[in-house]
Amino acid sequence: MPHLPSSSSPLVTIKVDGKDVQVPGDTNLLEALQAVGIETPHICYHPYLPVSGNCRQCLVEVEGPRGMGLVISCYTPVKAGMVVATPASSQRVKSTRKAVSEFMLVNHPLDCPICDKAGECTLQKNYMEAGQNESRLRGEVGKHYHGNPDNEFVDSKGQTRGGKRVDLGPRVLLDEERCVQCDRCVRFMRHVAGDEQLQLAARSDHTYITTFPGEKLDHEYDLCVTDICPTGALTGKYFRFQQRVWMLSRTPSVSMDDSLGANIWIDHNEGHVWRLMPRCNPEVNRSWLSNTSRLAFEKFAENRLPASDIESVKLALQTQGKVALVAGGECTLEDIVALKMLKASLGDRAEIFVGSFRPVVAADGIAKSGDPVANRAGFKLLGLAADNLADLVKRASEFNTLMTINNDLWGDDANQAKALEGIENRITLAAFNTETAHKANVVFGVNHWSEVTGTMVNCNGILQKLSAAPTAPDAELIPTFQALSIFAGTPITEALEAFKVASKEVPVLLGLSYETIRSTGAKLDGVQA
Amino acid sequence: MAETVKVCTGNFGKGAQDIAVYRKLGGYANISSRLFDLSQFETIDIVQRSGLRGRGGAGFPTGMKWSFVPRGTGKPVYIVVNADEGEGGTFKDHRLMLEDPHRLIEGLIIAAWALGARSAYIYVRGEFLPSIETLNKALNEAYAEHLLGENIGGTAFSFDIFVHRGAGAYICGEETALINSLEGQKGQPRLKPPFPAVNGAWQLPTCVNNVETLMALPWIFEHSPEAYAAMGTPRSNGTKVFCVSGNVKKPGVYEAPLGIPLMEMLTSSEYAGGIEGTLKGVVPGGSSTPVLLPSECEKAILDYESLAALKTMLGSGAIIAFNEKCDVVQLLGVLGNFYTHESCGQCTPCREGTGFANRVMHALLRGEGHDGDLELLLSIADQYNGTTICPLAPALGMPITAFISKYRSEFEAYIAKNPNHASPRVNATIRPGAFW
Repeated sequence: MPHLPSSSSPLVTIKVDGKDVQVPGDTNLLEALQAVGIETPHICYHPYLPVSGNCRQCLVEVEGPRGMGLVISCYTPVKAGMVVATPASSQRVKSTRKAVSEFMLVNHPLDCPICDKAGECTLQKNYMEAGQNESRLRGEVGKHYHGNPDNEFVDSKGQTRGGKRVDLGPRVLLDEERCVQCDRCVRFMRHVAGDEQLQLAARSDHTYITTFPGEKLDHEYDLCVTDICPTGALTGKYFRFQQRVWMLSRTPSVSMDDSLGANIWIDHNEGHVWRLMPRCNPEVNRSWLSNTSRLAFEKFAENRLPASDIESVKLALQTQGKVALVAGGECTLEDIVALKMLKASLGDRAEIFVGSFRPVVAADGIAKSGDPVANRAGFKLLGLAADNLADLVKRASEFNTLMTINNDLWGDDANQAKALEGIENRITLAAFNTETAHKANVVFGVNHWSEVTGTMVNCNGILQKLSAAPTAPDAELIPTFQALSIFAGTPITEALEAFKVASKEVPVLLGLSYETIRSTGAKLDGVQA
Repeated sequence: MAETVKVCTGNFGKGAQDIAVYRKLGGYANISSRLFDLSQFETIDIVQRSGLRGRGGAGFPTGMKWSFVPRGTGKPVYIVVNADEGEGGTFKDHRLMLEDPHRLIEGLIIAAWALGARSAYIYVRGEFLPSIETLNKALNEAYAEHLLGENIGGTAFSFDIFVHRGAGAYICGEETALINSLEGQKGQPRLKPPFPAVNGAWQLPTCVNNVETLMALPWIFEHSPEAYAAMGTPRSNGTKVFCVSGNVKKPGVYEAPLGIPLMEMLTSSEYAGGIEGTLKGVVPGGSSTPVLLPSECEKAILDYESLAALKTMLGSGAIIAFNEKCDVVQLLGVLGNFYTHESCGQCTPCREGTGFANRVMHALLRGEGHDGDLELLLSIADQYNGTTICPLAPALGMPITAFISKYRSEFEAYIAKNPNHASPRVNATIRPGAFW
């Protein structure tokens, strides 16, 4: 993997286009130039994949023993005092990049108007930056079919084409014509996913991406190959022909699927989520997102609970006897603050329980921690026990009221939840009409985590901010923290207010506000799940 | 004229495939205290003093290449023999292995002693089945006589040789692609650095040498490095095995001291024996080297420097002569097919560019050329330079440039076959901003 610059990188001076500039000294030239604002077009290079150096788009000139020579910037380490020329000063670099751009497009179909990638296509972007050449191809000498000979066909204009909609597996389709053989997907499967399911077959301009005979591309991270594909060759079936990407608005958020809190973009249009994309965070999920987290959005608008009557919940909470407040992992810090307010208002007869009946599994080292209680570290941070559900099961008979907050006990494990069925008065606060909601006497619908602003602390103690995507199916729905604070009798309408309460209470949050939490989160010292 | 010294081809036709015959002819005399009394440093020094240069095409000094292999790292060192001869017009290694396999084994033992290697791989091109059989038989004989294996000659030196059959890809003649293929990966050149001398096969120090290079070693050690250096020219020492093909009376493999005039190689009765018909051009070092016109052939001297001065290369020593009946446009078309087919598909300029140029050339051959096609071809050839990992694309670019610039009128005649050659090209011009 390439060594990326960090805040601790030593600075060295190199000469770029005749000017001395200070760049990080422990990385490659491409990253170093990027650090000083010089963009280098590239196709095959990806910061979280081993360097392959096959696209040749990132060429720069570097002074060597035999004068200025062309090198690929992604594979050239920065050395103090090196002399570099970019297109800004070198006609040769400019014309070479243009040449590579031309070669890249020789067999590319230019079907951008019907391509899902158009608008976020690296090839398209590079052509605009480095190419912009007039085509020198005449139909008959230009194109040549790329791809598996089995998929070849002749179109109505007599051109040999093919490889459309090649089914690689349950989730990914390949358009062989559009592939530029950068082998990012191959390297991703080999070096990140650790399961070599894709391979480049054949050679020269017949080269095509394929799976092994009889095998399918089927992996928990296989949709990542559609993100890193620089063209529209690999597309996810779920998103194909759904939306033009320039119609989508992006909301930066955090997946509350598990305690790693993978950083995501919520891409939405007209109040509907169309896809979740990984949002690069070097400390958390890098550029990767598991299929589970990614495809969770398909259920965001389904089976939702409507906005309900606040008074009925308040009434139910006044039932005599002890109240068990059972919070689930999707609660944000703000929700926890409000939960504590509710407990305080109920006094000694209320007790908070945290946890999930879903088992903790091993972390996969890519973008999942395996812990279903996403904000476990947040509960701990605010002084709550992070896993005492077993305690509740044991002492179920003590309680008269069970209030679940974003916790689908019966849906997660009905056998374990059976012990709680003795508690007769059951209140459910949830976004979805879950099994637990079916079991409840009183149900209260709230916003889903994708629709709320808030914060969570991931398993490594990084405080991350969720932003509300305007995609709630019912405008009347309110966030969990707001509902809980209303039940407590001290209504909070803004998430920030709840966060301020928390930051007064917990020293490590002191001085942090939504503005000072960076997009990649804030590391909280000494905090862990 | 004195009999030319045969360094590599001396045993041709003498039945030296048999170890007894080879020994009778003086073979394996080096595998004795003559070699085992030398230190590694002294062994490499002898090779350096001989001025032997890599015979695979690049002509890099062999002794210097060996000196790059790090010592005392505790890591095993591998020797890999490049017998994946695939360059158009080259057939010397095939012949050398067929006629004199034991000389290669002897050369390898010397190299292994110099580099402290425990094992070597002979990567033979897949199509060379007879060579592989001959080599395997010779290896069995050498093992039987304890020239290979554990504790050779009673010393602590142990050495094994394995024959590996490639699958016949041209690119596997490039040393890092060869190593990838040897490891069982796709034969594609690696990014450099690290160079194989430091980080080669299985990420360990590896020295890749051509068959002919190693086969020169027994003679050098038997005689003296000075005797070898005395042959040839001051900078291109020793002899070279040339493979002459095309329109000559006696095509074949000939060994001659470097510095011999090209015309002597083509016309002397000792070598190719004369041209069939009128000479039209000569490709002096394998299909990727720029062609020489007859006037240039008169001046051409076969050594690395003289040919470089003529803007061509000695390469692998594959001399292809062609006469007036040869259609150079078709010849270039054949080369285009070859390099397009053999591009490994890694770097964009080569993967897409060789096919692009080839399709332009074949449109020309079909009589569908247009004015400006030659400029297009020259420009594509120029665009290969310096943009790829290995020199496969430039290996097509060089002949394109040379053939078009030296035989331009013939190419123009092909363009003229198209009645609409002057009509403007039908271009699918994409103007930025038109739809995005």
